[in-house]
Amino acid sequence: MEGITGAELVRAAAFLGAGIAMGFGAIGPGVGEGFAAGKACEGISRNPEQAGLLTRTMLIGQAVSESTGIYSLVIALLLIFVAAK
Amino acid sequence: MTGRRKLLLGLVGVLALEVALALKAKPEIEIGAMPQWRFLLGGHEIVINSRTAVMSWLVMGIWIGAALLVRSRLREVPGRLQATFEFVTEFFDDLISDTLGPGNRAYLPWIGSLFLFLWLSNIIGVVPGLEEPTRDLNVPVGCMLVVLTMVHTSAIRKKGLKKYIKGYLQPFPPMLPLNIIGEMAKGVSLAFRLFGNIMGGAIILLVVSALVRHVLLPVGLNLFFGLFVGTIQAFVFTMLALAYTAVAVSD
Repeated sequence: MEGITGAELVRAAAFLGAGIAMGFGAIGPGVGEGFAAGKACEGISRNPEQAGLLTRTMLIGQAVSESTGIYSLVIALLLIFVAAK
Repeated sequence: MTGRRKLLLGLVGVLALEVALALKAKPEIEIGAMPQWRFLLGGHEIVINSRTAVMSWLVMGIWIGAALLVRSRLREVPGRLQATFEFVTEFFDDLISDTLGPGNRAYLPWIGSLFLFLWLSNIIGVVPGLEEPTRDLNVPVGCMLVVLTMVHTSAIRKKGLKKYIKGYLQPFPPMLPLNIIGEMAKGVSLAFRLFGNIMGGAIILLVVSALVRHVLLPVGLNLFFGLFVGTIQAFVFTMLALAYTAVAVSD
């Protein structure tokens, strides 16, 4: 049995880092988008004729709060496909 | 009753055949392969991502063809195709007058074609053999540069150069670098959001399809990641472009 070489350690660390980045990065957007959707539901139930406007505004807000999650996705992709090559 | 049973039996047979074929095939995942054309022009090497270029020209060709088709037979009483196009145009006209205020029809062609291009680009991946051009980071970055140019040009035209530059010194002059970085972050997040969503969806599709050996499950995934996420992201891109324009134009 051979020992672990440095390059293998780097690959392992890159994969582990990708998993950690995606896992922690998904928490914030998940909570934020769920909160926005819940509030939009409340708003629509309170005044249903504004449903179109509320949905549109909710989507914009969700998209903005999603971008941090997308950043961590990009970092994870970089780690998997570039750093672990 | 017996006809229904025959249909069910046939479906089960097809599924079993598919599973048998899938178990025989070797799953293989290939991500990040990017075919390129390279050629020399005046001593510089020029690299073109061939699949992205072909796919985006295909998308543009489809829309140009559809627009010419609709224009060639405009009627007073619209047919089905013309009614669809009129609905889309009216939707974006309303959206622009909601966001920017009435009398801003000049933005309609830009916003409308941005949405149509991105929408078809995002959902074209559900057709087998075709690939989303937005999966390549260059396409979202290109759209983002168009958006930023439009936003800042309309801000300068509306407010005048002096007032525009003054906007960067708010609330006090040392904030200048932060304001410039903030403007750049807008564009970067716009491009990376689209790219990340489409690329992430494509990767999940590839991986899950290879895991279940292309049996049944990828259909639903294609519907979600191809049609739903693609439509939402194209709409979000155009909405954010509009919102940035509205913020830049107002003082």
